[in-house]
Amino acid sequence: MATLQDRRSTPQPQLDPRERDRLERAVTVPRSRVVLGAVVGLALVLWSADGAQFDFLKLGEGAANVGEFVTRLFPPDFTKLSLIVALLVETLQMAIVGTVLGAGLSLLMAFGAASTIAPTWLYYPCRWAMNIIRSLPDLVIALMFVSAVGLGPFAGILAMTVGSIGSIGKIFAEAMESVDRGPIVAMEAVGASKRQVVQYGILPQALPMLTSYTLLLFEGNVRGATILGLVGAGGIGLELTTAMNRYEYGHLGAMVLCIVVLVTIIDQASAIIRKKLT
Amino acid sequence: MSIIAKATPITATPLPVGPSLARPAPPRIHIRDLTVRYTPDTPVVLDGIDLDLHAGETVALLGSSGSGKSTLMKSLTGFAPITSGTVHVGEVDVARVRPRQLRALRAEVGQVFQQFNLIGRLSVLTNVLAGSLHRAGPLNALGTFRGADRRRALELLDRVGIAHKASDAARTLSGGQQQRVAIARALMQDPTVILADEPVASLDPRMSRVVLDLLRSISRDEGIPVLVSLHVLPLAMDHSDRVVGLRDGRVVVEGRTADLDAEGLATVYENDDEEVED
Repeated sequence: MATLQDRRSTPQPQLDPRERDRLERAVTVPRSRVVLGAVVGLALVLWSADGAQFDFLKLGEGAANVGEFVTRLFPPDFTKLSLIVALLVETLQMAIVGTVLGAGLSLLMAFGAASTIAPTWLYYPCRWAMNIIRSLPDLVIALMFVSAVGLGPFAGILAMTVGSIGSIGKIFAEAMESVDRGPIVAMEAVGASKRQVVQYGILPQALPMLTSYTLLLFEGNVRGATILGLVGAGGIGLELTTAMNRYEYGHLGAMVLCIVVLVTIIDQASAIIRKKLT
Repeated sequence: MSIIAKATPITATPLPVGPSLARPAPPRIHIRDLTVRYTPDTPVVLDGIDLDLHAGETVALLGSSGSGKSTLMKSLTGFAPITSGTVHVGEVDVARVRPRQLRALRAEVGQVFQQFNLIGRLSVLTNVLAGSLHRAGPLNALGTFRGADRRRALELLDRVGIAHKASDAARTLSGGQQQRVAIARALMQDPTVILADEPVASLDPRMSRVVLDLLRSISRDEGIPVLVSLHVLPLAMDHSDRVVGLRDGRVVVEGRTADLDAEGLATVYENDDEEVED
């Protein structure tokens, strides 16, 4: 039987004197677990570098070749500028459609993968599906769609869309899980349905994060779209490969410069929008 | 001697607060011998609570943290399990409400929270309209509300003196303004009763009085009983018709505010050396 007296006479928890001494010192000795963690981390990196044949000497020797390759790109040859612009526009269009479809489907998947929204029977299958998609390399997904719908940007769009579900779907779900519970409680308290709780309690709070992640997805898709062309999935990637195979380094340099300009513009615009949202 | 043994017997006499209450009406909230225990192996949170709330009265609920105030309020809306006893909200027997009937029950009870629980990015008007979600039609999925509800929401914003902020985002309002919006949202439900769980704990003294004045005037003018939990005794004395004091899940003080003095109410928070039964 508990008594108020018992509760009142319970001694107040005290800070361990040794811990107090440690906290009072201007320069503290790291805890043993921090030191152990650092040693284990360093050992892991060294083991990985050895296994991956990471070699600074080799990098130094190869730096000259990198420099030579870069110098070949200059001066850029802009004689095929109209082709480059057309392919960049196609790349951009692929990224726009891929992002819209990817973000839309990711949002639907995220509703199922958010523990605060979905029932358990839906939550785990959605999470597993996203894990499986995320584990597939984008180029493999692109090759699958190239074999399904043939060469061209449509295959690239499908690859980006599916790839987005794996990456951004998980982030969308976690953004919805992390919103303040207060408005959700308020919506439940007024007798709102599950759909209404999501629509008025969760989505308005998560919207800035969802928009921000969608813009990041778009930036990634623009860069990704230039790679997908390597396997024939449309965009400027195929022309990049062709130029390299034909040793048309001036043309290659012009394409690289144009890609840099496009990606920089998109990154800057996206950063401005994201800053306004958050 | 146990303080519980000294508790004033519970009397639930309707208060003669207005001409519309000339004839005694059944209580809006009727609680008898309510016991709440969240799980079988955890202590009893509420133990044998009897309480009636009548139209037009404001009842202040006092008690230390952990005394069971919030649980008592939650038990009225199905957010806390009723282990034994009866709880009626209007005609509804809360203990017999099935999960799919919970929305209708919650729509009957307006709730005001300590942290306001508004959706900060949405407009003040939309936050108030959220109180009508339980009766919103299918078009509400598109984010629309009926014209009649919009007019009613604006009237309520006039009522709480904040209609000029109707288009502003809720997050741009001060704490006192946000709490008035939350009260308007509760009124939008056309509630049987309003529960206010520490509604002024986040507000300064002046704004606390404004909000409590508003709640009491709503209670008197609209005939909606208000159960408000408070920690500040002078506020409870000035802004309630009746006081109920909880301690360790039991009612230890109950009576008309005019009949109680601050010293008597202070016993709710007083530590004594007597044993208190678990």
